Amino acid sequence: MAPPTTPAAEAPAVTARPRAAPATPSSPAPIPTLLDFHPLEDPRFTEIAAFFDHLRAGRFSTTRCRRDGRLLWPPRTVCPECHRSELEWVDLPRHGRIYAFSAVLAGAPLGMEEAVPFAVGLVDLDGVPLRLFGRIEGRPWTELAIGAEVNVEGFDLPDGRIFYRFRARPASPGAPG
Amino acid sequence: MSERPEVAVAGGATTRFGVRAATWSELVQEAGRRLFEAIPELRAEEVDSLFVGAAEPERFAFQSHVAPLAAELLGLKPRRILQRTELACASGQSAIRSAYAAIAAGLSDVAVALGVEKMNLPSMAEANTSMACVMDRPWDGAHGATAPPFFAMVAQRHMREFGTTEEALAAVSEKNHRFANSNPDAQFHAKSFSREKLRGLPLVAPPLRLGDCSSMTDGAAAVLVVRGDLARKYTSNPAWIRGTGQYSDWHNLANAGDLTDWVGLRQAGREAFRSAGIGPADLDFAELHDCFSISEIVAGEALGFCPAGQGGAYALDGKSSLGGEIVVNPRGGLLGCGHPLGATGIAQAVEVYRQFAAEVPPERQVPDPEWALVHNLSGSANVHSLMVYQRGG
Ligand SMILES: [Zn+2]
Repeated sequence: MAPPTTPAAEAPAVTARPRAAPATPSSPAPIPTLLDFHPLEDPRFTEIAAFFDHLRAGRFSTTRCRRDGRLLWPPRTVCPECHRSELEWVDLPRHGRIYAFSAVLAGAPLGMEEAVPFAVGLVDLDGVPLRLFGRIEGRPWTELAIGAEVNVEGFDLPDGRIFYRFRARPASPGAPG
Repeated sequence: MSERPEVAVAGGATTRFGVRAATWSELVQEAGRRLFEAIPELRAEEVDSLFVGAAEPERFAFQSHVAPLAAELLGLKPRRILQRTELACASGQSAIRSAYAAIAAGLSDVAVALGVEKMNLPSMAEANTSMACVMDRPWDGAHGATAPPFFAMVAQRHMREFGTTEEALAAVSEKNHRFANSNPDAQFHAKSFSREKLRGLPLVAPPLRLGDCSSMTDGAAAVLVVRGDLARKYTSNPAWIRGTGQYSDWHNLANAGDLTDWVGLRQAGREAFRSAGIGPADLDFAELHDCFSISEIVAGEALGFCPAGQGGAYALDGKSSLGGEIVVNPRGGLLGCGHPLGATGIAQAVEVYRQFAAEVPPERQVPDPEWALVHNLSGSANVHSLMVYQRGG
């Protein structure tokens, strides 16, 4: 079988990573424990480093199969439908609506204990068949609702890496609760 | 073509489940002692194969290559098949399924399937991290996905789509805790939980409260699985394995689809019932994987115990209790017994054996049972594993 080609056809070439001067808000609750021993975003360890380069550049992206058009999440190096590596990077909508949500009030994993309580949810991204799981910041879980609007944002981890999460729209002025 | 041999569970035993002052190895030893006590005719040298269901010994007990360790602790020298089976919460049932497959294929005659997990650690955040690793770790786990928030979202959607209530969740939990009171090996033995008390417990992942969630539990269990013509050497009450079914259709939460319709369980159920030649109405009882109260509700719907959306009413109306339609989780379930991942599927099979042999206390004895179903889900209900048992005549 042919080695997987780098799917970063439309991605900018990997350049030196800005490790300082975060352009995005840094996390009040670092979560690196459950990220890789080998940082997933480092091209020495992964073939999908472009995802994180895009995120740093303000793009939320994934891979799509050029042959059958299948949108793949998370970013893949082989299409599970046609088993080829003819993939391309595509930008995803950075806006969606909550399909379901809950909150972690107890039993948090390492690195997340101080963030308790925190909200998590499944979000239907606008206009694409993708329902993604993630942390929801911006409003306490008691103020979230199914159907509420959220944005996708990148945020910097204290060790220089970047990750993504959802941010609920702030309450409109004068609106109850 | 030679006929496939019949396969039976010829006995079994569990350790006490709970927060145990015992290591992984000590739990295995306790299960082994109780297995040989429960089957006095069994000689170690007769056991040709050992299957060890263990979900995360590398993380919980810092130990790999656990199958030969368990064999040494049990005094077994497997000469045909020795292996560990890992399928997260279904690791125990995987051990039984593998023993069943080996015997049915003529590759083993007398096998032990043992399941074990040591989950309570000095740092429970460390243990919770292990649970996050069951999910797609770098994408879902890294956001804080563990079982409680996932099943909480299942409950939230079920409430929204079908009007399921917190009272229905409490009805499931109350029933299973009540059954656990007749099971001295249960983690929550001799503790009473009324629906009112359950609804007053703290939220863990809303809308799920503490009593809606199975515990982090230390425990082990073992069963003897044998070729049919050997069964009566060990027992006068063999539990015959009559059917199996399994289905896996996704892993990353992005591919979960409709949270309240467990398509994989409907698929696995069709295969399990087809292979056993029965339907859900033939069942006398079922051990369903109530890792959360909502899981028992959705699983019962997917298996055809009741129509979609009616799982809450099924519990509230007492149809899953003694005197109802299909008794669900007479052992006490994962909610009442605790959920040591690798041991759970084995402990459910032990309950099936004991129910068929009329060895359980009257408070949970299903009257004259002939057919039983065991269900394990694993991960975020993305895999479903089923076995159908029939009482030996
Ligand atoms: Zn393809």
